[in-house]
Amino acid sequence: MQQLSSKHLLGIKDLTTSDIELIFETADNFKEVINRPIKKVPSLRDITIANVFFENSTRTKLSFELAEKRLSADVVNFSSSNSSVKKGETLLDTVNNILAMKVDMVVLRHSSPGAPHFLARHIKANIINAGDGTHEHPTQALLDTFSIREKLGDVAGKKVAIIGDILHSRVALSNIFALQKLGAEVMVCGPNTLLPKFIGNVGVKVELDVKKALKWCDVANVLRIQMERQQIKYFPSLREYTLYYGINKQLLDALDRPITIMHPGPINRGVELNSDVADSEHSIILNQVENGVAVRMAVLYLLAGIASDN
Amino acid sequence: MDIVLNSVEIFDKRSPYHGKRKNVHIKNGVITSITSQKVKARQTVDAKGLKLSIGWFDVGAHFGDPGFEHKENLESGRSLAEKSGFTGVAVLPNTNPVVQSKNEVSYITSNNKNELIQLYALGAVSANTEGKELTEMIDLHHAGAVGFTDGFNPIWHTDILLKTLQYLQKFDGLLINRAEDRMLTMFGSMHEGTQSTLLGLKGMPGLAEEVMVQRDLRLLDYAGGRIHFSNISTAGSVDLIRKAKKKGLAVTCDVAVHQIAFSDKALEDYDTNFKVNPPFRENGDIKALIKGLKDGTIDLIVSSHCPQDEESKNLEFDLADFGIIGLQTFMSVIKGHYQDLSLEELIQGFTTRPREILGLPLPEIKVGSQADLTLFDPDKKWDYTLESNLSKSRNSPFLGKTLTGKSVGVFNNGKVYLDEGL
Repeated sequence: MQQLSSKHLLGIKDLTTSDIELIFETADNFKEVINRPIKKVPSLRDITIANVFFENSTRTKLSFELAEKRLSADVVNFSSSNSSVKKGETLLDTVNNILAMKVDMVVLRHSSPGAPHFLARHIKANIINAGDGTHEHPTQALLDTFSIREKLGDVAGKKVAIIGDILHSRVALSNIFALQKLGAEVMVCGPNTLLPKFIGNVGVKVELDVKKALKWCDVANVLRIQMERQQIKYFPSLREYTLYYGINKQLLDALDRPITIMHPGPINRGVELNSDVADSEHSIILNQVENGVAVRMAVLYLLAGIASDN
Repeated sequence: MDIVLNSVEIFDKRSPYHGKRKNVHIKNGVITSITSQKVKARQTVDAKGLKLSIGWFDVGAHFGDPGFEHKENLESGRSLAEKSGFTGVAVLPNTNPVVQSKNEVSYITSNNKNELIQLYALGAVSANTEGKELTEMIDLHHAGAVGFTDGFNPIWHTDILLKTLQYLQKFDGLLINRAEDRMLTMFGSMHEGTQSTLLGLKGMPGLAEEVMVQRDLRLLDYAGGRIHFSNISTAGSVDLIRKAKKKGLAVTCDVAVHQIAFSDKALEDYDTNFKVNPPFRENGDIKALIKGLKDGTIDLIVSSHCPQDEESKNLEFDLADFGIIGLQTFMSVIKGHYQDLSLEELIQGFTTRPREILGLPLPEIKVGSQADLTLFDPDKKWDYTLESNLSKSRNSPFLGKTLTGKSVGVFNNGKVYLDEGL
């Protein structure tokens, strides 16, 4: 069996292009599986997976849990949105406690960038990063690029604009890495205060005008405005943001060709994305959700393969 | 005490014996002869291959006593400094309570008469180093404080900085400031640049240091007095200070010894032993710091010794505290990372210059002088491990490495420490 180059999925940065292609091929198979009347396969029987979420999450957690259950894994969940968890022993201790109960894999979401890397240094289980602060969210980028591939046939050569709050987004960085590895061109667009100052150095175009970004791209991946992750004021008001960065049908109709609209969810409807866009035929937002399960099944399956070989 | 160091290379540019190998006889704390003749003494040390300088001096180490004794205390700090080649250390006031009255000053200095290592207190500029109310600095000065600083806390309040510069002029006191505009570094945990973008960590721009250096220099020009910037880290700061010196302003500065050793690339694995403030910056900054050391813009090299316990460091990167312990590896880091620079020039930055800046008497290597000396082997290889680590803390990126360059003994205040096997 083909294998991934790493026993963990900490970030897209560490994946090779052939890793990504292997995940896609595996996800193709699982997508077929989850559309069967009997959606469950026995691949991960006897594997126990802990979903450890130190930050609120509904859909990522649901998607992972579903993926795990479709693969017949045993699943335990730990959630603590307690932001007063200041000391890392809590993270380490919590996970060690869970591991003492003989868990094979840990899916971790945490507000600190590098938290899964920290954990990977300390524990033996396979770790899957389900979002670490403002750093990476690798499975999201995999499902996003998988969805582009599904919709447009290929990712290579496509122009993808990531629009919105890039500074506080883990989706943006993972998407940039994944898209670049697969040969797409990437642009980031948003108010300058929401763009990391040095983002231009990672090989992306930078655009402050959303109209120009839409005109340039084949795919617009619109990010959620992360009010909860902003510790300082970055723009004056949601009203102004919506007026100058919100995407509506009128803007899309003004383009000379249709573009594909994506969003990692949950959408702030009427803020970064209007309903007339989110629900339009060019939106693949619900396909992303469906593909999320297949892609996560693929990642879990491939990493578990490495685990059992070890 | 009656010791002769045989065939030791005298390493002090001010001495007529500089660069020469001599037998140095030290009796009862005094240098009694420097000669090529054989000397009889109770203890003979074969010092061939070793260098002898005046005692090393560190400005701005943090010993955490009182308040943080689990990280370091005066006793462990003294022992650490002595075995690392230092004979004098001026410690930061960021203790609990803060060094802001004569009681706290004397807590630090009271044991000096019995000890080899001489500790000096840096007094706080503002109450609890909060930057709001001035401390009684004249009184602190009379109690023995050798400089004034809020330590880790930059003096953000412009008028407090101005008033301090003015107030200290009565006794030509030294103001030491850590330049960092905290509004620009809020929630940051590493240098802002491409690397922070790739790691998803909030950055602390070099700009935050430079705007404060610029502000302070403007205030210095206006008010007079003396200012010393501690732990500068950016090319821009070096530039600003170079220009100010040319203009004749009474400004000095230091660099933390580890600042030259690493760039922000070192943070790749989120190892919190590399989390330090000011943060590791970019290669251009390192080059500028080296140039600043070469042309004398940077006066001192300091250990920036900042012990942190396991609970403050073995954490997610953004939650961990800043700091590296720096005394024990001081010479090794210089040997390992300052290769373009001559040790002969660099050593001024931790022997004569700090004493000049703080207004302390300068030891000399001459017959009849009190022995305030460091004996060191710049080529000695040694393993820096948890076992050989002398600090109460272990937050060093050099742990586990084989290093080159080490002090092997010190003389001061009528006392001597020599490594075993000498």
